[in-house]
Amino acid sequence: MADKKISKKDIARLLEQWGQQFAVFAPSKDSGVAAMAEWDGQDTSFLDWYRNTIVPPKASFLPPMEEMFHFQKGEEGYNIKTPPKDERNRLLFGVRPCDARAIAILDMTFKDAYEDPYYLSKRKDAVLVGLGCTNPCESCFCTSMGVSPAESADVDLMLIDIGDEFLIEEVTDKGKELIAKTKGLKEATKEDEAKATQSKKTAYDRVTRKLDTEGIKDKLLASFDDEEFWEKTAAKCISCGICTLLCPTCYCFDINDEMVKQEGTRFRSWDSCGFPNYTKMPMENPRQEKWRRVRQKVCHKYEFYPMTFDVIACTGCGRCIRLCPVNWDITRVIESVPDKTEARK
Amino acid sequence: MEQKLRQEAKALLEQNKVDWIIGFEPGSLKFTATPLITRDKNDTERLIISPFMVNNLADFLTGIEGRVGIVAKGCDSRSIVSLIQDNKLARENVVILGVPCPGLIDLAKIERLVGKDRDELDDITREGDKVAVKVEGKKKEFAAPQVLFDHCLACELPTPQEYDILLGEPRPPAPELEFSGQNIAKLIETPPAERWEFWKNEFSRCIRCYACRNACPACFCQRCFVEETEPQWVMPVPRWQDNLIFQIVRNIHVAGRCTDCGECERVCPVNIPLRSLTREMYSIVDELFQFKSGMDKEALPLMAHYEQEEAEDLFR
Repeated sequence: MADKKISKKDIARLLEQWGQQFAVFAPSKDSGVAAMAEWDGQDTSFLDWYRNTIVPPKASFLPPMEEMFHFQKGEEGYNIKTPPKDERNRLLFGVRPCDARAIAILDMTFKDAYEDPYYLSKRKDAVLVGLGCTNPCESCFCTSMGVSPAESADVDLMLIDIGDEFLIEEVTDKGKELIAKTKGLKEATKEDEAKATQSKKTAYDRVTRKLDTEGIKDKLLASFDDEEFWEKTAAKCISCGICTLLCPTCYCFDINDEMVKQEGTRFRSWDSCGFPNYTKMPMENPRQEKWRRVRQKVCHKYEFYPMTFDVIACTGCGRCIRLCPVNWDITRVIESVPDKTEARK
Repeated sequence: MEQKLRQEAKALLEQNKVDWIIGFEPGSLKFTATPLITRDKNDTERLIISPFMVNNLADFLTGIEGRVGIVAKGCDSRSIVSLIQDNKLARENVVILGVPCPGLIDLAKIERLVGKDRDELDDITREGDKVAVKVEGKKKEFAAPQVLFDHCLACELPTPQEYDILLGEPRPPAPELEFSGQNIAKLIETPPAERWEFWKNEFSRCIRCYACRNACPACFCQRCFVEETEPQWVMPVPRWQDNLIFQIVRNIHVAGRCTDCGECERVCPVNIPLRSLTREMYSIVDELFQFKSGMDKEALPLMAHYEQEEAEDLFR
């Protein structure tokens, strides 16, 4: 079946229509920072300013903080009350291909390797509507990480900018079903499809930052004990949590109880391997030194994740480069890992 | 000036006068400089002086062992002096390579004025009182106060007072307090209930990355109260109330140490206007105690010294 298309000025009506069935999330700066937020029913100005959000869309499934349950000590143990659930399924509109891939990577942990009910309750029936990039950032290096800025297999529907309109690609059955029920779409012509192909190519070519990840898993394995390299690499890091908390594939969380007298709440919230307390235990802290924490962060993405899931847990979104207070650049770090693989053989 | 800096830094390492050099090298993105921390004399070739050397390098001094040669703008030098006052650093262990600073360019302000992101700009150049921005082939000129960081506009010490080697001609302070204090003045005029709402909104998006704390040279505690568990002063969960308490207590802890370098606000990834709090605290400290941190290394640290005469009856 041929692709559909929609005029850019009709996006508000499209979201309105979908809003009757879903809780629609779209890029917004209303909170003071660019993030996916529940759509307010009219504002589509993001179509003009949106390149990518600061807060990655993972926050829609793994929020910075969530209440797991409330507990109260009773006569016979604890009474547990779970917070009311939003019964509406979520539709995320405008997900970038790098972030869509990141969600697919999170799924490997939270859906495939282990079923995380908190994540899955929001993620399971969610619809991801991708939006192809036209203007990638200087820090973007998605094309080096197997992602194309205007193509995605990790969304349900993919929108490609073809001038005054978006071409809509149906990527999954879920997407196909939604399109079948959606009114007001036009049939795309052969010309539109040609435009979309060109649009994808143009976006691809605009990603100028490159990273060669050939053999990186083995290189990291061989350089794991190279303390001098890791110390040098970590020297300017200030151990803040920006590059991990705002990474679209980082999923570490902490669990805390807040208890007053006989009752309280259990929270889970984002955590970071960059923090010294992350590994603090009663007797020791295996990552007390900064270089060990930096090594962990790099190796988790480029060595351990490939070992477990056969995929690098980095999609080249560039947030960690763009937002780092000291311009610690993961692409420079990966390129500088010494090749000691021969010596190990 | 860069050549002189490189020579001096190299000589310091060669003559074994320092173990480390801390300065700036070109960053990996447009209009950035990045901290260079090295023991290798060959690395000194990469040292630069630029209008984008935004970090307060004094932040690294408490985490490093040995003698350090450090590039310092006026604000950095104040933080260094403040660390000396607090006994966190010995004067003889640091060689200050002072750089008179004409103020740093705030890319966020340029983005707002031009309506483009920083990576879409072709060039930014400082020409005296003007900053020229080249975008889409066209040159736009702005008066420096329009595009410098707020904290630079309030700068009282562009040239380090405390230094070993000065690179360049000293610059007199030329504060543009009216420009610098606009946000704070507006907040002070806001009725308390409304102001409370404002801060509630601002702190609702804090993600507790602790970049504000970790970038702050005055936040040198080995263990921060925010991570204490017994007692737990504040929940480690990014709830707005806890976020606000964290920031207020941090503010109180750096009172008399904060030099208004503006790093907390600059590094915040979610744009919380933290300097509105720290600068107000800075002014209150000045008003109550006639104390400006980091100005005089012989001065006793405001919050960490005690004299019998100043005690209230209860404590005498």
